[in-house]
Amino acid sequence: MSKQKKECFGGFNPFDLLSEEIIFMILDLLNRNPLDKKSFSLVCKSFYATEAKHRRTLKPLRQEHLPAILCRYPNITHLDLTLCSRVTDTSLSIISNACTSDLRSVDFSRSRLFSTSGLLGLALNCKNLVEIDLSNGTELKDSAMAAVAEAKNLEKLWLARCKSITDLGVGCVAVGCRKLRFVCLKWCLGVGDLGVGLIAVKCKQIVYLDLSYLPITNKCLSSVLKLQHLEDLVMEGCFGIDDDSLAVLKHGCKSLKSLDVSTCQNITDSGLSSLISGAEGLQQLTLAHGSPHLVMLQVTSSLADCLEKLSLLQSVKLDGCLITYDGLKTIGNWCLSLRELSLSKCLGVTDEGLSSVVTKHKDLRKLDITCCRKITNVSVAHITNSCNFLTSLRMESCTLVSREAFGLIGQRCHLLEELDLTDNEIDDQGLKSISRCSKLSNLKLGICLNITDEGLIHIGRGCSKLIELDLYRCAEITDLGILAIAQGCPGLEMINIAYCKDITDRSLLSLSKCSWLKTFESRGCSLITSLGLTAIAVGCKELSKLDIKKCHNVDDAGMLPLAHFSQNLRQINLSHSSVTDVGLLSLASISCLQNITILHLKGLTPSGLAAALLACGGLRKVKLQAAFRWLLPHRLFEHLEARGCMFQWRDKVLQVELDPKCWKLQLEDPMP
Amino acid sequence: MDLKERLSGELQKKVPEHPSFPNFNTQHQQKWEDPSILDYSTRIEPPFHVFSQTSQTQSSLPRNPNNQIKVRGQDGPVNETLLSNKVQDWDPSAMLNNLSFLEQKIHQLQELVHLIVGRRGQVLGRPDELVAQQQQLITADLTSIIVQLISTAGSLLPSVKHTLSAASPSIGQFGQFGGVVFPSGQGQNGGVQPQSAGGSRISEQPNSFDVSSNGGNEQNHIIEEHELKDEEDVEEGENLLPGTYEILQLEKEEILAPHTHFCTICGKGFKRDANLRMHMRGHGDEYKTPAALAKPNKESSSEPTLIKRYSCPYAGCKRNKDHKKFQPLKTILCVKNHYKRTHCDKSYTCSRCNTKKFSVIADLKTHEKHCGKDKWLCSCGTTFSRKDKLFGHITLFQGHTPAIPLDENKGSAGPSDHRGDSNQAINKVGSMNFNFSSNVSSEGGVQSSVDVKGGIDDPAGYFSPLNFDTCNFGGFHEFPRPPFDDSENSFAFLLSGSCSYSQKSGED
Repeated sequence: MSKQKKECFGGFNPFDLLSEEIIFMILDLLNRNPLDKKSFSLVCKSFYATEAKHRRTLKPLRQEHLPAILCRYPNITHLDLTLCSRVTDTSLSIISNACTSDLRSVDFSRSRLFSTSGLLGLALNCKNLVEIDLSNGTELKDSAMAAVAEAKNLEKLWLARCKSITDLGVGCVAVGCRKLRFVCLKWCLGVGDLGVGLIAVKCKQIVYLDLSYLPITNKCLSSVLKLQHLEDLVMEGCFGIDDDSLAVLKHGCKSLKSLDVSTCQNITDSGLSSLISGAEGLQQLTLAHGSPHLVMLQVTSSLADCLEKLSLLQSVKLDGCLITYDGLKTIGNWCLSLRELSLSKCLGVTDEGLSSVVTKHKDLRKLDITCCRKITNVSVAHITNSCNFLTSLRMESCTLVSREAFGLIGQRCHLLEELDLTDNEIDDQGLKSISRCSKLSNLKLGICLNITDEGLIHIGRGCSKLIELDLYRCAEITDLGILAIAQGCPGLEMINIAYCKDITDRSLLSLSKCSWLKTFESRGCSLITSLGLTAIAVGCKELSKLDIKKCHNVDDAGMLPLAHFSQNLRQINLSHSSVTDVGLLSLASISCLQNITILHLKGLTPSGLAAALLACGGLRKVKLQAAFRWLLPHRLFEHLEARGCMFQWRDKVLQVELDPKCWKLQLEDPMP
Repeated sequence: MDLKERLSGELQKKVPEHPSFPNFNTQHQQKWEDPSILDYSTRIEPPFHVFSQTSQTQSSLPRNPNNQIKVRGQDGPVNETLLSNKVQDWDPSAMLNNLSFLEQKIHQLQELVHLIVGRRGQVLGRPDELVAQQQQLITADLTSIIVQLISTAGSLLPSVKHTLSAASPSIGQFGQFGGVVFPSGQGQNGGVQPQSAGGSRISEQPNSFDVSSNGGNEQNHIIEEHELKDEEDVEEGENLLPGTYEILQLEKEEILAPHTHFCTICGKGFKRDANLRMHMRGHGDEYKTPAALAKPNKESSSEPTLIKRYSCPYAGCKRNKDHKKFQPLKTILCVKNHYKRTHCDKSYTCSRCNTKKFSVIADLKTHEKHCGKDKWLCSCGTTFSRKDKLFGHITLFQGHTPAIPLDENKGSAGPSDHRGDSNQAINKVGSMNFNFSSNVSSEGGVQSSVDVKGGIDDPAGYFSPLNFDTCNFGGFHEFPRPPFDDSENSFAFLLSGSCSYSQKSGED
């Protein structure tokens, strides 16, 4: 574009008139595709320089690039290292010396190999560091936390799964980082009451606190609940907290907006009531997979009283709870109006119970009744009748709902954006009705054996905003249906046509027009060949996940274009395909390829595999057949592991693919 | 005197053999362990003890032992003057306490300096700024320790000062003493910046001494308070108005005697209850019945009697009735424990760590229960036997933070180790020659080499252009650096090499 203009104006460059601010504003809008900015910077030297100055966020592929890119981009504030599995202390010192006080946020959640001294340098040099994500740092010790504690301005800290950290480390952080507002300590199994208590005492500004799966008791909880600004408290799976200990807490936390006590097996109604007493601003309550004794909201008057006071409550999640008719009726009798309700996998949900809830809570926006297997058309009728504003309805495996009922959904809930009908009886008529939901962006139709191309053509015509479509094991679907989708839904980003056995290359050719396609899964589509895959590779530049397991007709000829065009490919599954050493080796030219699964590749030899593994520098996870473990030198794997690659060894015997109908029958058979 | 001579003789003998004193020191202690000896001859002894201790602490430093010997030599007359003048004013056990505190502090100093040395290693290659910051931190720590040292050292003085106030040598001696203690701290700094700060402290020293000499004892208290049993701490909060209670003061001999029966009126102790009862008769006829003995307070509740509180016989102690902020002790047991803990020799040494010493055997037993287990350390240097105590302390004090044990630092601070490891792995791979066919044949048995050959013979000819054996694996020697800088170009040659493919991709 700029070249043309330059020619028009002769020697004069009109871009000289554009101030940097204006170009910056334009660049601000170039967000959707990271490659856009790349092309922009390639236009000319000044654009290159401007873009380099403008960029604030970096997500490098390898740590080896860091010195160069940090030199090119001087104003980086956010550094996302999730693609670099190896980040050594040397890299950290490069970062801390290059970024100094500009750097505000770093993400190490997927990186390993750095240690205390690197972190110390970072904390001391980058004075304005506000966010650090150290999740999954299972090797980090307390001394690393002492280093983090030097980052005095830290506001957000993620330490999920840092299993080697103890109270001492957390204590150092608590004393050092007084401005902390977001703290995640999930799965820090070495941290107990003392550490959490100290954080609560020292960091008064905390807004978000995740204490999931910590061995804590009410000892620290009393100081946690005294936090003046605490809005979000997550205590999933805290088994040490029980009713008796909660009963001691006289006052709840006034500022609390969201409370998650999922999987806390020892909290029942009375404990819950003492926990939420006083939290009048509570908006979201998650009690998923709670104690079997959590009879939720039944007669226990204290809890009922507490819940009555929660006038702002909007969202309740009761996934996997033993909820009864009475319980649902109590929810129905609340004077407030819920926006979000999740009853997924609640065994006690019946037509009557659900109806009593939905008829009262007419403002419901999101409803999850996944696996409520007892409900029938009656519930669907009530839901569609009263909750006209639903944007999300998830009802996987509601097998008693007959095919007629799905017509109601399309007729009455026009605002639906997300609809999960996996494993339901819906048919083409139902799909035709659903196609009236023009805002639909996420549609899951997996294992719906009654739908055919006809229904899908309606969806393609009506739901132009579709982003995700799941057609897993919809055996009747053929190329015609996919063509309609490809033509009608240009914004499609994810499609799953696994085990739609009639799909051929024609579908792939048509899907190649969906240029935003990021995830493509076509397991067991044995008619697909390398040709179809080539079309996808050429057309869908954004492709990042590809699963062509059991596509027997895809071979090396499909890999070469993939290697050339799909430069964003992160994850690929090639199991049971006809790809050989050469195809695999060619994939090495995809620099961001991280996960590969290569089981049962007949054409794969040990030496070819070794070459491919060595060539793919960015690999993080490889699923391989266990046999290769002994066929290749051990030191090769040591080397690859030192590069940051993990191996998963599989020893599964080849299974013969079943007909979809048989497959479902087998699924429904009760286990012997 | 006899003893003293023998001791000094022994000392002289020992010195050439063991230029570093610790050995002597321990022997010495064993000799004087028995706390029941209270006659004056033992009183002479502690100075030696004291100095041998200093020598112990300093023997580890690069200090010339001559200094100490000099001090000792000077101290001889001091002792004698002391003896001849007033023995009461001069309590060697208090001094001993102070000195052992000094010893602790010097150890801390040492650790700190070790830390500096350790950090220096790590710090290498970092910007000077960073080093300077760390040095500042360490300087701050050093200064605080030095201040503590000075104030405690000051508390050693009053005894000397009192007795020798007229004699000028005291100042000279003090100067020398300071000269021994402080430079040693500096010497440890080993070229790190804080030297100057330490120096300036010393120059200020003489002014602050008078103040700190009073406070010294108290400070000593505070530091060691966490070790003391609760009973003493608890009544810290008791606010009895002076005059509302009766003060009893037992003599130290009385306190240290192994009595178990005490008179509730005068506090006298007895070994046998019978003797106590006999004694009680002397207080009046009402105490003659055993019933009265059992409940002396109830009977007299009608007429308000004064509550009894106890005073410590040690002059200058906060628990002594003459102290400005006198805080009485509640019971005789409190007196006993207080006196032993604060004013007596710590003669019970922990058999596990051989460093902790106690004067009350119960304290030793409590300590031994936890000794050897995790020590919980605060950044201020205070140690705790229990983690929750440490956290309570940290919660209370601003800026204090848990100290991470050094060995852990060493363990994980080995980034270089880590890197070394991975490098090693890389090098290993580099040295593998990448001769897969041979490697495979050695490990995978029959299949291998045939397999590769088969690959080469493959009708599609896929393998011939790649030729794993000869082609490119030499290039993998470069692994320690980014294996493939940007795989696109680095692998292009391989692909272009595979001519059969360029044709195939032409199809697309």
